[in-house]
Amino acid sequence: MLKTIAIYLILVFFGLVMLSLVLAVTVSLAVSLSAIVYRLIPGPNVPFGYNLRNMFVRWKNTVVTAAAFVVVIGLLVVMLAFVNSMYRLTQGSARPGNLMLLQDGSNDESFSSLPPTVELGRLPMDVQNAIPKNKDGEHMATKEVYVVVNQPIPNAPPSGKQRRFVQMRGIDKSWIAASVHGIELQDGKWFSQEGLRKIAADSASGKDFSPTALTALAGVAAPAAAPDDRAIEVVIGAGIAKELGTDKDITTGKPRGTIKVSDILDIGGRKWIVTGIMSTGNSSFASEMWCRDTILQEQFGRRNSYSTFVIALNDPVLAEKVSKELKNYKELSVNVMTEKEYYANLNATNQQFLFSIIVVAIIMAVGGVLGVMNTMFAAISQRAKDIGVLRLLGYTRWQILVSFLLESLSIAFIGGIIGCALGYFLADGVTASSIVSGGQGGGKSVILRMSVDAATLGFGLLLTFIMGSVGGFVPALSAMRLRPLESLR
Amino acid sequence: MSLLTIITLAISIAVLVAAAVVLVLNPRLFLLIYRNLGRNFLRTSLTSVAIVVLVIMVTMIWTVVSFLDASTAEQSQNIKLIVTERWQLPSQMPSSHADYMDPEKPNAILPELKPYVGKDDFMTWSFYGGSTEKDPSKRTRDNLVFMFAMNPEHIRPMMDDLQDLDPKIIEQMQKDESLVLLGKERLEMMNMKVGDKFTLVSMNYKGIDLKFTVGPVLPGNRYNLMGIMNANYFNRGFDTYRTENKNQPHPLENRRLNLIWLRVRDKDAVAKVGGIIENSPTFSDRPLKCETASSGIAAFLDAYRDLLFGMKWLLVPAILISMTLVISNAIAITVRERRTEMAVLKVLGFRPLQILVMVLGEAVLVGGLSGFIATLGSIAIINWVFGGIPFPIAFFPAFTVPLDALAWGFAIGAGTGLLGSCLPAWTARSVKVSEVFAKVA
Repeated sequence: MLKTIAIYLILVFFGLVMLSLVLAVTVSLAVSLSAIVYRLIPGPNVPFGYNLRNMFVRWKNTVVTAAAFVVVIGLLVVMLAFVNSMYRLTQGSARPGNLMLLQDGSNDESFSSLPPTVELGRLPMDVQNAIPKNKDGEHMATKEVYVVVNQPIPNAPPSGKQRRFVQMRGIDKSWIAASVHGIELQDGKWFSQEGLRKIAADSASGKDFSPTALTALAGVAAPAAAPDDRAIEVVIGAGIAKELGTDKDITTGKPRGTIKVSDILDIGGRKWIVTGIMSTGNSSFASEMWCRDTILQEQFGRRNSYSTFVIALNDPVLAEKVSKELKNYKELSVNVMTEKEYYANLNATNQQFLFSIIVVAIIMAVGGVLGVMNTMFAAISQRAKDIGVLRLLGYTRWQILVSFLLESLSIAFIGGIIGCALGYFLADGVTASSIVSGGQGGGKSVILRMSVDAATLGFGLLLTFIMGSVGGFVPALSAMRLRPLESLR
Repeated sequence: MSLLTIITLAISIAVLVAAAVVLVLNPRLFLLIYRNLGRNFLRTSLTSVAIVVLVIMVTMIWTVVSFLDASTAEQSQNIKLIVTERWQLPSQMPSSHADYMDPEKPNAILPELKPYVGKDDFMTWSFYGGSTEKDPSKRTRDNLVFMFAMNPEHIRPMMDDLQDLDPKIIEQMQKDESLVLLGKERLEMMNMKVGDKFTLVSMNYKGIDLKFTVGPVLPGNRYNLMGIMNANYFNRGFDTYRTENKNQPHPLENRRLNLIWLRVRDKDAVAKVGGIIENSPTFSDRPLKCETASSGIAAFLDAYRDLLFGMKWLLVPAILISMTLVISNAIAITVRERRTEMAVLKVLGFRPLQILVMVLGEAVLVGGLSGFIATLGSIAIINWVFGGIPFPIAFFPAFTVPLDALAWGFAIGAGTGLLGSCLPAWTARSVKVSEVFAKVA
């Protein structure tokens, strides 16, 4: 009982604090905007040069206060760039006209196991007719098996990370799957229909890449599951190519560098030869490896089992319509959703990260606001006589408030602009790994390229304005209230 | 105790010892430091509030990071091992795989494993998840339930944080196999109470929908969103499925075991048990891998490594820099306003070192106290009111602020106070009496 009362009291306290903050921010912003507008209108005003000179005179305080803004805004820009890139990635992975069929009850490819009955020929005839065909008369639909493979990291240092999860997608006809997902190769070619290649003799480098030779070099036992000496042909995303490139080379002990065409990988007890690199742009496919479906199924115990059936309808409206139709189609017990819906579901972690960033930004902003308040209060107490003189010269209270508010906004913007620039240089173009998930387990590990866009910078400057306004408003109010004669005494 | 706690504790003790030395050697100086803080109450309050909010932020981040670090730190004794399918996620093994490691099945267990695995060193998990809502379009996070299906006898010896679970609850679970233990938050989300009954429409084992009775609530925050059910009841679901489907087995019947947990004495045993399991021909149809729990968690957390790196090495330093700047600014302003006072103190016989200590002391006192209050408040409010930090990372539902945080807060506040006040304190120490009074004159 006592605990409940205490909890309610604390929640009420926090509620009141939040309400006061919202009120303070609203009033400060309104006053600041009015002050800027007022300052732009020609008429008698305290010269801005007076504020500038004071900022230079107390340059140490100005620099320290602005530095706090640099840190807060710089960090905000980096964090927002990260989350925005995650959002862009989930949105970029979805093609609006694509439809996904998963196992009934499953919302994630990782957990989906489609019944064998899910076939193109089992779809309603009108749906079959609605699916576009390529020039060879093949339907733009692909059955895919998606497996998250546990890969022991080759030559991993004993104290470091020993294994990673690699996402692999098995497809039947690469040209159809590529077209359905809008994927092109930036280098190399797609794997053959057989999906296997003898590598010991035909390697361009002339080195012996046979499993026996490589396992001997790695000093590990030969894989038990290798049915033959041929390597599996695989096409990999640009992101995972970079990630795998951090592994140390067996012979030199140095990072082997971004994976290229013809490189050999060691996954799941088999050798995999890279035949192509996918140019996947900003999508989760950049973190995947693609090979023949039957080989992947055989290799990882998913015989005759597919995860998804993707249909490219090329028209978002049609995709919605067919989605509704298939949901009511009793002969197929599957979970149907548009690709857009599927990837939107994976935004749960993004939303949680965004919420966390907002909390962090608010808390750090409070620190910055209190810093600028301290500076401005000190400036006002030191310049009480100046204020008295200004008042005697005929400047109104409002003009005094405008002058001090603009001074705090100037300090804030100096810091904010530098912070935006710092954030831009720290985050733009940087590669980071993360996870996108619907929050119910599963999800995808992704490698994303962070980018700082105009909206992120705009948000940084908006927060700068809010912080400068709130931090400067209360001291400016106290400056405005000073009585001329008292301040001169 | 973590390295972080040891360092912050050392800083805290050093600061307290220094304060005690000042108090003993020069009590008047100590009193002066204390009183000076009250002279500009507004500035002290603004600085203090800034420190409090920033320390709360650092405390929250360190809580998450230190918990994850502890989870991935290798133990030297009583090491838990996770046995899973070697190559893929999610791990789905035949339930017979567990028999070869179960110490209570002497005829089935691999003979080489017998010396390493004791009766209370084994458990299995099968994941069973579903919704209380039949209509897929009405399924939300509130009506989704995720459970570990396991032998109730293994809960107390093997489940983290459940060692003190009432043995009567285990008996209840054995008597009534439909009894499910749910976390507090999950129950609240489902709007149910102990004794209520519900049917779960399975999402990962289609066609195996089970009826449950809500049992006692799982203690603590760790299992807030989850449930624990009896594995026998789960397995019986597959038998029922066969009966109802003309003796056809469920498609996943042979893949219903997700994890096997073992506990071994030391690192030597880890290597030996790992070798036995990974090289045994018994599991050649579905090869297994055996790794320590910490290694498994570390691999799972790898997807978050850049996020965690950013929290550790970008966010925390940025907050600490921000705090240092706020304190530095406030103290610099104070020193500038009190140049005359510093000169007077020197005239009265205060030595430059004493003035330096006074200014440093003011910053350390306001920083240390604010930091301590912040972490005390964090422990009380975050743990008590919110039940932990609900940061969505991996499979951890909420992170409770540890008591160690008391040392963190004091050390962060005092440390940044010390760092931020170095320059202003040096300026105060270097005030020249002649210059100050020449200006006054």
